[in-house]
Amino acid sequence: MTGVASDKRPLLLVEDLVVRFRTHDSLVHAVNGVSFELESGETLGLVGESGCGKSVTSLAMMRLLPKPAGRIEGGRVLFDDFDLVTLPERDMRDLRGREIAMIFQDPMTSLNPVLTIEEQMVETIQAHRKVSTLQARQRAIELLEMVGIPQPETRLRSHPHQFSGGMRQRVMIAIALALEPRLMIADEPTTALDVTIQAQVLELLRHLTTETGTALILITHDLGVVAGMTQRINVMYAGFIVETATTPELFATPSHPYTVGLLHSIPRLDEERPERLIPIEGTPPDQRRAPVGCPFAPRCAWRLEVCWTDNPALEPLEAGVRLVTTGPGATHRIACHNPPTPEEAAAGRPLRDGFVAAAPPGVLLDELAAVDDHVAALPGEEVALFPGDEGPTSTGPSAAGLPLPPEEGRR
Amino acid sequence: MASITAPVGTPVPRVVPERASRGLWRDAVSRLLRNRPALVGLAIIIVFVVVAILAPVIAPYTPLGRDPGQVFKPPSAAHLMGTDRQSRDVFSRILFGAQISLTVGVVSVLMGLVMGGTVGALAGAFGGRADTILMRCVDVLLAIPGILLAIAIVVWLDRGLLQIMFAVAATNAPIFARILRGSMLALRESDYVVAARSMGAPTFRLLFKHMLPNSLTPLIVAATLALATAIIDVAGLGFLGLGPDDPRIAEWGTMLTGASSFYRQAPFIILFTGAAISVTAIGFNLLGDGLREALDPRLRR
Amino acid sequence: MLKYIIRRLLGAIPVLFGLSIVVFSVVHLIPGDPIRSLLGQHATPELVAEIKARMGLDRPLYEQYFIYLGQLLSGDLGKSVVNNRTVIDELASRFPATIELTVGALLLSIGLGVPLGRLAARHVQGWSDGLITVISLLGISIPIFVLGYTLQYIFAAQMHLLPASGRLDPRLDVQFRTNFVFVDSILALNGEALFDSFKHLILPAVALGTIPFAIITRITRAAVLDVSNEDYVRTARAKGLTDARVDSRHIMRNAWLPVTTVIGLQVGGLLAGAVITETVFSWPGVGSYIVNAIQDHDYLVVQSTILLFALIFLVVNLIVDIGYAFLNPRIRYS
Repeated sequence: MTGVASDKRPLLLVEDLVVRFRTHDSLVHAVNGVSFELESGETLGLVGESGCGKSVTSLAMMRLLPKPAGRIEGGRVLFDDFDLVTLPERDMRDLRGREIAMIFQDPMTSLNPVLTIEEQMVETIQAHRKVSTLQARQRAIELLEMVGIPQPETRLRSHPHQFSGGMRQRVMIAIALALEPRLMIADEPTTALDVTIQAQVLELLRHLTTETGTALILITHDLGVVAGMTQRINVMYAGFIVETATTPELFATPSHPYTVGLLHSIPRLDEERPERLIPIEGTPPDQRRAPVGCPFAPRCAWRLEVCWTDNPALEPLEAGVRLVTTGPGATHRIACHNPPTPEEAAAGRPLRDGFVAAAPPGVLLDELAAVDDHVAALPGEEVALFPGDEGPTSTGPSAAGLPLPPEEGRR
Repeated sequence: MASITAPVGTPVPRVVPERASRGLWRDAVSRLLRNRPALVGLAIIIVFVVVAILAPVIAPYTPLGRDPGQVFKPPSAAHLMGTDRQSRDVFSRILFGAQISLTVGVVSVLMGLVMGGTVGALAGAFGGRADTILMRCVDVLLAIPGILLAIAIVVWLDRGLLQIMFAVAATNAPIFARILRGSMLALRESDYVVAARSMGAPTFRLLFKHMLPNSLTPLIVAATLALATAIIDVAGLGFLGLGPDDPRIAEWGTMLTGASSFYRQAPFIILFTGAAISVTAIGFNLLGDGLREALDPRLRR
Repeated sequence: MLKYIIRRLLGAIPVLFGLSIVVFSVVHLIPGDPIRSLLGQHATPELVAEIKARMGLDRPLYEQYFIYLGQLLSGDLGKSVVNNRTVIDELASRFPATIELTVGALLLSIGLGVPLGRLAARHVQGWSDGLITVISLLGISIPIFVLGYTLQYIFAAQMHLLPASGRLDPRLDVQFRTNFVFVDSILALNGEALFDSFKHLILPAVALGTIPFAIITRITRAAVLDVSNEDYVRTARAKGLTDARVDSRHIMRNAWLPVTTVIGLQVGGLLAGAVITETVFSWPGVGSYIVNAIQDHDYLVVQSTILLFALIFLVVNLIVDIGYAFLNPRIRYS
């Protein structure tokens, strides 16, 4: 299945991908330099909250960004030897559906309501292969059987609205796998489905991709979905990849504050003692402003002063390790200046004595004040030296003179 | 409560609710102001309204005032737009005609709003049988296309300003009926109302209280566009000889008919009258389109 | 599918009844006394009473209504008080002319409107889009009679390119069998008449068709834009289909739905507009018939003809609705 690690040339190599949306009055920095690789047959999860850029990344790879607003403004996407970013449209069209297939979130709106399933499947096949309609129809029946749709011959003549949600998504999967692509991208494939159906569809997806050896990029906001499905996971935040690791490692030793937060905000059945859920306060940054510093800084409990101004690069957890980018031996990398220790990751908060998350430096304060979605309660008002506080120490966290973390004293 | 983030002092973006809703209207207004065609439309309408109100003051002649012997004179210094068959000053008549068009237009749209809106609101609020019956009546009105309905009514009630207003109101009432019915139906299904109902609150009062603000935006757009149609329809009725038969009233459509058979001798009358009607309609249509774009909730991204 | 058709037909019946009631009350409840105003100076009370009795106007209202209904159902639309011909006969002979005009205008408006709407959508925010938007704005804002006279002035009076009025050059002799000039001239193998009737049709068809053209352009543009943003169009592209395929099978097939509905509604506008157009261009159709009747105070004719128009409009909408169900599978099976 998955071969030896990075000695093989990867099926897909994304390098410093930058995507921005330009409208006449705003510029949105959707993807800010994303890099990752994928081996053939590998399953990669792309995880993050809404707006983090995971869907945009995949749409950019397929060159399906909404025109004219969406534009790839930097980076390369190498598939085989082709750079998909600069590939001529007609070659791109040839790749789409045949080598790289994509399924979307809502199967009701993703299928043409006025055409029959047969028409929509046959047109896909005939777009890339010179086969007669009869042969294409035959293939369509095979595919429907493969995805578990009963009575495929009669169902071919139905329209999308005559299927249930789960069945529709199966049809989408059938269409996507029709031409045996080497890469399949599934963008939130189960989010619009009932919980019971979700598991079925995911299982189908897993089964089919392993059987056909198709590489899969699974995009979701739900960590539960990737837990059983993927071999590796990229965690994205505000257009950046903040952590990447193999799935077992990510769940065992999450090392980026955001990932830690994510894991603590979902209930887990395997906990020995049921733990209190800890939400991540705040909201993601406004991506209409060019990113400055680490995007997670405003919400991060481990932040240092440098986090406000310097966006950390994706680096291996341990220094000096040989970098493996794909496969089960992939190096665990994070983008963080002050990663939580394993104990802190398990606890969900910093455990160091006297550690206080750094407040934003003065300049940034004014800038934040000017933006109207950061509100009234700016540190400027609350950063008051409490009586009895020590004066500023030499470096780092307490320089801004915030009151001591009340954790120990409070409930 | 323990939190993963830093405790007190972390700048946490909070959203202030009132700001959001104030933003909706300010947003719409600013979007409207940026829409140049809509502003042109607004300018046209302002000119139209000003002219209509000030007609008795600015018009050099009264609508009936004859300048003897000056039949079908082309535009000149004395008569900016020439004279008509009865030696009357066309320019003045057009100014007074603006008064008529404005009055009839506004009144008929208001009447249609009240009539149609009431029917639609009742239909939507009560639902079921009442809804079907009321909307069937509206369908009957709709089955008689546009100006034919107005013709039928004016023929029935005889010519006259009031009758014309009623006739045009009847043609635009169905649109308002549909809008209000739609908003009522949506309200009835809204979580807020369902919850209130489950607590035994009097739903009809609730519905009617919230109905207007809910449907305000489509009503505004529909009313503006209906004004454009009303002005054209009034002129159309006049054109067909169903205009107000009081000769003191200078109505654009009637003026045009009067001049139509003489278009060889006096094409300019048709030109000026036609231009007056068209430009006014263009103004309302431009503004209506602009309003629709500015108030469209979908466009808020 | 059949159930849907039957449901629509049944739904139309109450509307038909409603129409007949409306028209009935309008004719029989005219404030003032139409008979008296008709007779004018000759109106003596005895004469008025006699005519009323003859016309059955002295019976109780509901009886009158049933008589009226009976008349309608048997095709008796009454007689013109002015020239004593039955309304039905007059309508039958004039109707083909109006149909020619309406069909011509409709073909023009669809034939120009849909392609221009698509063009505008394809180049949205570009200069062609702006131009088309302006043209459609002018189209809906300029009343038919203004446009009609302007066209007459430019093309007939000034440029002498096209005839100003009428349907056919009176000097040409065409035997009218079907009353459709086009059909009859073809039947008579009269090429000159065919060409001439075409020349006569152009200006009125343009005048009448401009408003529907403008509306159809706008709707097509909006529909194409809306559909282009739908998820299934993205899926179609993701499957690697060519732009042409995506456009025809996925975008247009769905965009046609709202456009079809609008076309159905525009037929009503065409019928109403025909009244004005025929007056401007002296086109011998049902529209000018109504206008003449208005001026002659022949109110029964007016109301009967309006009833006919409403009926036609209803039928056309019914056909359009059924056609729509063919195009939109979701309606078909509901």
